[in-house]
Amino acid sequence: MSTLRQSGTLLGFVLIVAFFAVQLPDTFLTARNLINISQQLSMLAVVAATMTIVMVMGDFDLSVGSMASLAGIVAAIMFAGGYPVWAGLGAALLIGIAGGLFNGVLVSVLGILPFVATLGTLTVYSGAAFLISDGKTIFGRDIPEGFSGFARAGVEMGGIAIPYLTITAILVIAACWFLLEHTTFGRRLYAIGGNKEAAHLAGIKVVRLRVLAFALTGLGAAGAGLMYAARVASANPTQGSGLMLDAIAAVFLGMTMSRQGEPRVIYTLVGVLILGILDNGLTQLRVDSYVREILVGLIVIAAVAVASLSKRGR
Amino acid sequence: MHRAETADHVMQTLTFSNLSKAYGGVPALADVSLTLTAGRVHALMGENGAGKSTLIRTIAGVVRADSVTVTRDGTDLPLHDARDAHDAGFRFIHQELNIVPQVTVAENILLGHDLPRRLGLAVNWPEVRRRARGALAALGATHIDVAALAGDLPAGDKMMMKIASALVAADGARADLYVFDEPTAALTGAESEMLFTVIDRLRAQGAAILYVSHRMDEVLRICDDITVLRDGRHVSTHAIAETSKDEIIQAMTGRDLADSYPHRREGHGSGTVVSLRNACTANLSGLTFDLSPGEILGVSGLTEAGQTRLLRMFMGLAAITSGDATFDDAPLPRDPAAAWARGIAYIPRERRESALCLEMPIRSNILLPHLHAHGVFARIGRERRDARAMADKVHLKSNGPEQPVGQLSGGNQQKVVFARALLGDPALLLLDEPTRGVDIGAKFEIYSLVRELSARGCAVILTSSDLPEVLGMCDRILVLHDGHQAHLLDRAGLTSAKLLSYFYAAREAG
Repeated sequence: MSTLRQSGTLLGFVLIVAFFAVQLPDTFLTARNLINISQQLSMLAVVAATMTIVMVMGDFDLSVGSMASLAGIVAAIMFAGGYPVWAGLGAALLIGIAGGLFNGVLVSVLGILPFVATLGTLTVYSGAAFLISDGKTIFGRDIPEGFSGFARAGVEMGGIAIPYLTITAILVIAACWFLLEHTTFGRRLYAIGGNKEAAHLAGIKVVRLRVLAFALTGLGAAGAGLMYAARVASANPTQGSGLMLDAIAAVFLGMTMSRQGEPRVIYTLVGVLILGILDNGLTQLRVDSYVREILVGLIVIAAVAVASLSKRGR
Repeated sequence: MHRAETADHVMQTLTFSNLSKAYGGVPALADVSLTLTAGRVHALMGENGAGKSTLIRTIAGVVRADSVTVTRDGTDLPLHDARDAHDAGFRFIHQELNIVPQVTVAENILLGHDLPRRLGLAVNWPEVRRRARGALAALGATHIDVAALAGDLPAGDKMMMKIASALVAADGARADLYVFDEPTAALTGAESEMLFTVIDRLRAQGAAILYVSHRMDEVLRICDDITVLRDGRHVSTHAIAETSKDEIIQAMTGRDLADSYPHRREGHGSGTVVSLRNACTANLSGLTFDLSPGEILGVSGLTEAGQTRLLRMFMGLAAITSGDATFDDAPLPRDPAAAWARGIAYIPRERRESALCLEMPIRSNILLPHLHAHGVFARIGRERRDARAMADKVHLKSNGPEQPVGQLSGGNQQKVVFARALLGDPALLLLDEPTRGVDIGAKFEIYSLVRELSARGCAVILTSSDLPEVLGMCDRILVLHDGHQAHLLDRAGLTSAKLLSYFYAAREAG
């Protein structure tokens, strides 16, 4: 029963790929399109992988989208002010860590529910992005070539250029995977997710670790914001807002595949691929983007419903 | 009384026969028969997995038996679902106190019933309270305020409330059978006494009572008859007067247990593991005792006299406000992480709530407090090796270290918690009600483990509301009253009755 539950989502993934491969025989399963998908997905992959870190503890972070926007704006403002690229990147990533720490303190130290705390910081970070950018998009000459060029270049491998954005996403996923699966830090986070009280009594420093985990999620969001800004060679205060729901949806899809319904980075990646491939395939089939949204929502609900139904049946 | 007179018929005997139930081809109950008599308390005993729960659930109509015949004084009764069980006058009081803590006692007592209404609309609250009061009065528990929030009651009063609720259910209809499922598991000695008085009263009213318990001493004391199950089969039925503790244990386990408690080793190590001099926390006071390596100290008292708080103090969960308290010649640890790192192992009272991550593997649960010794990187090989070694040591029955703990029986779950405590080779072991809800076989194994640890020089502090357990296991007994150290007793010459009298003496003195 549990293997059927676990493989259901994977089966769905294979069916989706097969469907598009049949419908779009010339354009879908081509190296160029797959590379394209991987690049389109890279920001979502980074946010979802780092979102997995807090979701392992049973928490989640709604502020990642506005943090991504804020980070992009901060970097662009620094560039516009004549600072070098490294300073802009550093400032944006530090903002991500600081915002994540703030989320962590609200949730872990003050004991505010993650939903409420990060809903609050979602509007705070979004407001801050509007405030410092004056509500305008920063683009053109203000964005240095050294920054936006990164998103357009890649590593040549066997005649195919693997974009730097894809490589960045792979590195972040690998880091999150290693952190959660192969360090005692990861073991402790899973224990917190399993039973906070038991973890505390067994000597796990629950408060500190939760703050730290939120900081990593904030860092990931800021990183994704920078990737986005580089890709479109501009920054505006709303450009990251789509990331949050998709990232949470990807983790949820992934959770339907694990043994006990816990989040795992590798399964989150499958969730990201499902969402990305749907997006790419449906766009190519010229399906209306609103229909696409409805479809994505229904698929997430269906996967989670099947998982929870079969869990109840045990 | 009132009920018995108005009833058209007074039950004499109630018989369940040819009771069988299999889950997926595995028999949980095989052709079990049970005859209950009005005005007698019938004990049902057996190890975990013997079929007690299945039997109760079948009688309650929650589980549908593959075959069963129910006869009341020669007349067949239908038993297909919970409705039939209720109509037949069967009432159930379960071990878990399923109460709604946020509403009043009166509402809890009438839970699941149509509340009395005025004009069929507004709830008639005075009538609700009157009925609740009546049910409590029938138990002699008039001290409980029906307008209080249920969550604020002590555990014993919660139990009274649940029994009162079962009585209300019987209002108008006759209750022929009360089934008590491990009712004393959450109660202290004194609260159990109150429960026994209630059971005596129900018996005097002519009800049949089925009493399920792991606790031998209370069964011998309050029951009239006993049926023992083993592996889903009926082993024996006797009048209590015609059997003995040894005979019952033999029937339950299929083997002889010369003594319920393993032998104690005389004398213990020199040196001092723990030293308290008039130590106080926010809600503990006057704690003065030393503990040598290998010594087992029992902590006892009336309901929540501070037993759990004392253990939590050693884990750094309550700060010392005055006096001196040292472990290993240094101040007590400041948080659980420091406590584990310094060799203090803690087994909390609520296994599922406070000790285990149920959905996680046995391996993770055993390793949890010891991860600091593994450094930054987790090595699955070493984790599995450690988990396996500890699982073997506690004789854990499982499908290997990756099985989720939630799939294990209560006794085996507790062994996982013990395996965790043993892994660090602790210098001080804190046990809070370690054998609660654990069957006799597993109990004996747990006692043996504690003895073994003590023989290796580990000091043990054990709380238990099971007085024979305290007397059987401990070298000295600390009696607490309202968080204050009232007595420090040597075990020699103590009996359950004497110990209980110290609890009350402490209360009067305090």
